[in-house]
Amino acid sequence: MDILINALDQMLAPATAAFAIAAIGLNFHFGLTGLLNMGQAGFMLLGMYGYAISIREGLPMWAGILVAIGVAMVFGLLLGWPTLKLRGDYLAIVTIAAAEIVRYVGRSNSLIDITGGSLGIKGNDYKDPLESLSPFPDERITIGPLTYHGSASDSWWLRVVAWTLVAALLVIFWRLSNSPWGRVLKGIREDEDAVRALGKSVYWYKMQALIIGGVIGALGGIIWAHGSAVVADSMGRPTTFWIWTILLMGGAATVFGPVLGSVLFWSALSLVRAVSKAFIPESILPSTAIEPFGLMLVGTALILIVVFRPQGILGNKRELAFHA
Amino acid sequence: MPDTTVFADVAHEPGVAKPDPILVADGVVRRFGGLTAVDVSHFEVQRHTITALIGPNGAGKSTFFNLLTGFDQAQEGAGTFDGTALRRMPPHKVARAGMVRTFQLTKALEGMSVMENMRLGAQHQPGESLLTAFAPPMWKKREAEVTERAEDLLQRFKLYEKRDESAGVLSGGQRKLLEMARALMASPTMVMLDEPMAGVNPALTESLLEHIVELKDEGMTVLFVEHDMHMVRRISDWVAVMAQGSIIAEGPASTVMQNPAVQDAYLGEHHDTDLSEDQS
Amino acid sequence: MRIELDKRFLRAAALLLIAAAAFIGATFIFGSGSAAAGTVEPVPPGTSTSTLLVQNVINGLAFGVLLALASVGLSLIYGTTGLSNFAHGEQVTFGALLAFFLTTDQPVSIPLVPGTFTIGLPLWLGAILAVIIAGGTGWLQDRFLWNPLRRRRVAVLQQMIVSIGLSLALLNLLQWWMGARRVRLTASSGDRITFGNFYIGTQTLMSVVIAAIALLAVALFLLKTRRGRATRAISDNPALAAASGIRVDGIIRLVWVMAAALAGLGGILLALFDQGVGFDSGARILLLMFAAVTLGGLGQAFGALVGALVVGVVAEVSTVIIAPDMRYASALGILILVLLVRPQGILGRKERVG
Repeated sequence: MDILINALDQMLAPATAAFAIAAIGLNFHFGLTGLLNMGQAGFMLLGMYGYAISIREGLPMWAGILVAIGVAMVFGLLLGWPTLKLRGDYLAIVTIAAAEIVRYVGRSNSLIDITGGSLGIKGNDYKDPLESLSPFPDERITIGPLTYHGSASDSWWLRVVAWTLVAALLVIFWRLSNSPWGRVLKGIREDEDAVRALGKSVYWYKMQALIIGGVIGALGGIIWAHGSAVVADSMGRPTTFWIWTILLMGGAATVFGPVLGSVLFWSALSLVRAVSKAFIPESILPSTAIEPFGLMLVGTALILIVVFRPQGILGNKRELAFHA
Repeated sequence: MPDTTVFADVAHEPGVAKPDPILVADGVVRRFGGLTAVDVSHFEVQRHTITALIGPNGAGKSTFFNLLTGFDQAQEGAGTFDGTALRRMPPHKVARAGMVRTFQLTKALEGMSVMENMRLGAQHQPGESLLTAFAPPMWKKREAEVTERAEDLLQRFKLYEKRDESAGVLSGGQRKLLEMARALMASPTMVMLDEPMAGVNPALTESLLEHIVELKDEGMTVLFVEHDMHMVRRISDWVAVMAQGSIIAEGPASTVMQNPAVQDAYLGEHHDTDLSEDQS
Repeated sequence: MRIELDKRFLRAAALLLIAAAAFIGATFIFGSGSAAAGTVEPVPPGTSTSTLLVQNVINGLAFGVLLALASVGLSLIYGTTGLSNFAHGEQVTFGALLAFFLTTDQPVSIPLVPGTFTIGLPLWLGAILAVIIAGGTGWLQDRFLWNPLRRRRVAVLQQMIVSIGLSLALLNLLQWWMGARRVRLTASSGDRITFGNFYIGTQTLMSVVIAAIALLAVALFLLKTRRGRATRAISDNPALAAASGIRVDGIIRLVWVMAAALAGLGGILLALFDQGVGFDSGARILLLMFAAVTLGGLGQAFGALVGALVVGVVAEVSTVIIAPDMRYASALGILILVLLVRPQGILGRKERVG
């Protein structure tokens, strides 16, 4: 029973919402436009830094959010400018390299006064403004099997904010993907030359998609930062790969795919951990190996999904997102 | 069907000037490494006609096509389309200027429905800008117009029944039709067809030919690349022959095919093409 | 893939130098004052910047040669199959960890097998065995994963994401196997050969010599043998190669075996150079390998060598200016800069893209 409650806890966790948001961003990149952004964690990390540093330095919360959005926009522009005219795998290599640069620079000791080096930025430095907006009482609240604090850190309030944001972004994604704008992006995904021949500026549309998806990634970073802390190494390459797994599992180009993927990903990971702890003897799977074992299954799952069901759970087989 | 009256005073020689050219190419050179793929000193396309661009494999026809439509950039020379200089113009601007092309390897957008393919061809849809996309009232009206026009075209191209199906289920010939219909959605003044008949079964070929002739009747100019001589002979008002990157002959189909240089160019390539045969 | 030092190459080299100068200039402006934040090697106080610079170039060249060996397989695979193999880093780690597994005196174990045991082979034998087994994993991978995917005509981008999944799975498998600790292949820290103000470790020198010999062997294979020429032919034009009677699948299988074996050897030598290896050592340098391969021109086997030398030198030399913990960032910065100016890489042919 505890195992199921843990899984439920994971389903609703702020981290799950944060990854769902990042995956919605990636859905603009890959699902709609076919862009191979392998640096979504970099967008998240920049969003986290922009937000946390602004607030620590005394700016109001809305300004922190604007800074996070602005930083992600500039990052997207810088990455897209040289690569969106080139073959798809160049974007992949440049985005992954740029995200790693952000992480290396962020964790470097030389910027410890700004980014906090490898230890990162403490929650106390930036969590107050959001938590002070909480309408919930300052105490632990139990609803059904779940108990969290009303407003502080990993709280009910953060869950409400995070999932409201997820819902709002789903509406935005649905609206845009079913608009003529989204139609152009889908056309680019299918064949960019055909879209060029119909008088659309493919480069400019790809840039818009890259930026809007990156900004959404940065918002996911803010949610993540509120659920845990701003630490560069939590936003490394594996994070980007998890987001890809989430999107492809749920179904690229679908509205609910990112959310379903994230919920499944995190609850499955928690189930695997709990089940292997409970049923596999220590001599075969020592407790230190449980984490890598679970993540190994994630990698295997990614392979199997891509090979056998590239459209994911919700996707439409005709609208396969892999081209060229 | 070919109409040669407008060409009555035009000499049958390569690079000749036309009375009212819509497209002019001047000194266009494209090299790949050491290889010169295209070297066209002068070429004009007469307005409101169907002009065929023929030539043996590897003559540079498709490269020339890409250069004219902005999909490739020439090292030297440039074209003008309807008075607009084409030099360094990106492909989408060429299309917006009114010159819309199709592709030899058909580019039906297979993950989208036939109707969405058609709607994508429309111009001036405010909903294609990110900000207005959020507000459907700002683009619903245009979307309805676009849809109506798309339905008309689909009916004309006998694809109406398939409008809600994925373009991926269409046959090769239907994809060619869809691509042509989609190009018409952009209301072009000139249509560039890259091997429109390639891989199309004989039954559909007939209707494709009719559609091409209709384009002219509606006031558009057509330039098309083709291999099949019979098709060329039946619908083109004027024929230009490319070989080894240059235009080597121009004229009405009947005279061009008698031209010894043209026969040499073809015979050097494949001996089994009988140019004098006439089935139409 | 001809090696020709023509004008094209010189122009590219000049461009690269300008890019590097611009980058170093930029880091001077933005990253000034960070140089004192600690250096890798114990440099005696009072060492002049130019001495430090030369020493860093030496370290960088050594690292570059080893990196080249590790990345040449990545380049061969890209050249013959078009796949950007994100799991290549784990191949590098695997070689080094396997060598440790075979040679260490400490008790070791295998995942899912209870109990521990000791193998304790001598290092040279363990290393050779590790390289052979690593090559075997290349064979297995191609036989059971990549070849079936190619047969199913799975798109290259899809295959790339498969390789990402494989990388995630292998990385965690390696962690499961060896834990999060860092292990060393030899206990000795090695002597140094000193010449004038400069030095190089004997272990490093040995590694570099072995790597250079291996690279030479690869070059001879590609230039002189029939299969090597077939490999290059497939890189140039797979369809044409197949049409002219080359057994494409067989050559690709060979390339996978070579790539995995070379990655394994590179991993072992890098572990000697770095004096240690952890489950994520290969993952850390994956992007440097991509940088090397991309700089050299994707799929150009000899380009990987040039690219790796550039990456190695840039990474080490940049520590003169910026904090050492950012040195990989500077190499990746160079990668992005070069992509801006010359997307086809230093040696790559101009290709129609976009």
